[in-house]
Amino acid sequence: MKLQHNLGGLEGLDPVNTEPRVFVEDWEQRIFGIHTAMMALSNHLDKSLPDYDISQVPSTFDSFWSWAHLREGAENIHPFDYFRLRYYEKWLGGISGFFVEEGYITEDELNERAALILKDMADNKSTELPEGGDPAIDTQVEKYLREGDSPKRSTGITPKFNVGDTVRIKTISAGTHSRLPGNLQGRIAQVMEVYEESYTYFYETADGLGTPMPVYNLAFKAEDLWEQSLIEPGSIYYNDIFEAYIEPA
Amino acid sequence: MTSLYPGFRYDADKEAISEARAKALESLLIEKGVITGKTVDQVLSYFDTEMGPFNGAKLVARAWVDPEFKKLLLEDCNAACEMLDLPNGMSGAEGEHMRIVENTADVHNVVVCTLCSCYPWPTLGLPPYWFKDPTFRARVVREPRVVLGEFGVQLSDSVNIRIWDSSAQIRWWVLPMRPEGTESLSEEELAKLLTPEAMMGVALVKAKSE
Repeated sequence: MKLQHNLGGLEGLDPVNTEPRVFVEDWEQRIFGIHTAMMALSNHLDKSLPDYDISQVPSTFDSFWSWAHLREGAENIHPFDYFRLRYYEKWLGGISGFFVEEGYITEDELNERAALILKDMADNKSTELPEGGDPAIDTQVEKYLREGDSPKRSTGITPKFNVGDTVRIKTISAGTHSRLPGNLQGRIAQVMEVYEESYTYFYETADGLGTPMPVYNLAFKAEDLWEQSLIEPGSIYYNDIFEAYIEPA
Repeated sequence: MTSLYPGFRYDADKEAISEARAKALESLLIEKGVITGKTVDQVLSYFDTEMGPFNGAKLVARAWVDPEFKKLLLEDCNAACEMLDLPNGMSGAEGEHMRIVENTADVHNVVVCTLCSCYPWPTLGLPPYWFKDPTFRARVVREPRVVLGEFGVQLSDSVNIRIWDSSAQIRWWVLPMRPEGTESLSEEELAKLLTPEAMMGVALVKAKSE
């Protein structure tokens, strides 16, 4: 069981942190910008619905990068590190590691440059970022932000389930990345909506995602999800679940 | 602030280290032609000026004054976005498939992403820390009324709660109830009352903006 996929309903936690800021440190904005650019420059965009001529974009980035990669980077670490590290700390670790693995930079380069910058900071000097680069890269990043990357695909696949059906969530091994909250496994739900067409996921997961398939909005009653002691009577939990995770009840 | 579990040990200068590593990474990526010297700033500027909760606020304010528009917003959020004077890209990144659910006297909706932090970027911008926090993600699905109370939201016992989790393509958000005492406000003034928290269901809209 992977803790990162099983947060729902965890007991004994603190009161919620109501922090309204998106970023609590300036550096967090930088790693967010880098991740967004990576998604905008990803080599899989030539198969996306908007017309991206991605091979013509003059970036040296020629890897596949998506939300799935970022999420997997966070889900695939030691479960206690998942909580020890703050949200963007996980991004920074995962994305730095990706650039090293893919060979754009070496670990030594990164460490040496970081040490120089840290020394500047200690001396109260500001390190300037390098300038320049081909504006066509930024044109593509803006295009991606405005046009997105919809996972919707026309396949003609007939959904297995219909509105009103009672279904059960499968019990399956999650692997390193999943779009199934673990606490839903084995639980009973009702199909509220069958989304039109099919939806792909960015890459193949061990638990069955990857090819386009129907997605359903499912409703779970509180008493079908949780033990009596903590439930909110009358509450309904809805989630959008890929067909690969659902079986007849 | 985030609670620091005492069992974890943190470097006293961990923020400085992260800042240096992020800057080192960005510098190297620019030098190696992955991104330009302007890329990150351009992305950030996009969310400061084009995509943010100010868009969602306009949509909600219009829905409050125009019942036909409200119907469209609830049935086809992306189509409704095209009807208002909003920036180009409302169906762009993390907005390709948005849906909104309506709070009423009987039903209160709250949105979560238990697996990560999926959030409707074009209407609400980037997710606040509370939405990304594992404590919120874990607790709101099971004890929503208590969690809402911690945000300062007290609901009467007769109100039923609906929790919308985002594990696939839909980006959910909430159409909050229009507060009493706002009958004389213009659409623009109504829009100023909206917060990201209200449009995700963890706050009620106040008749006067703070």
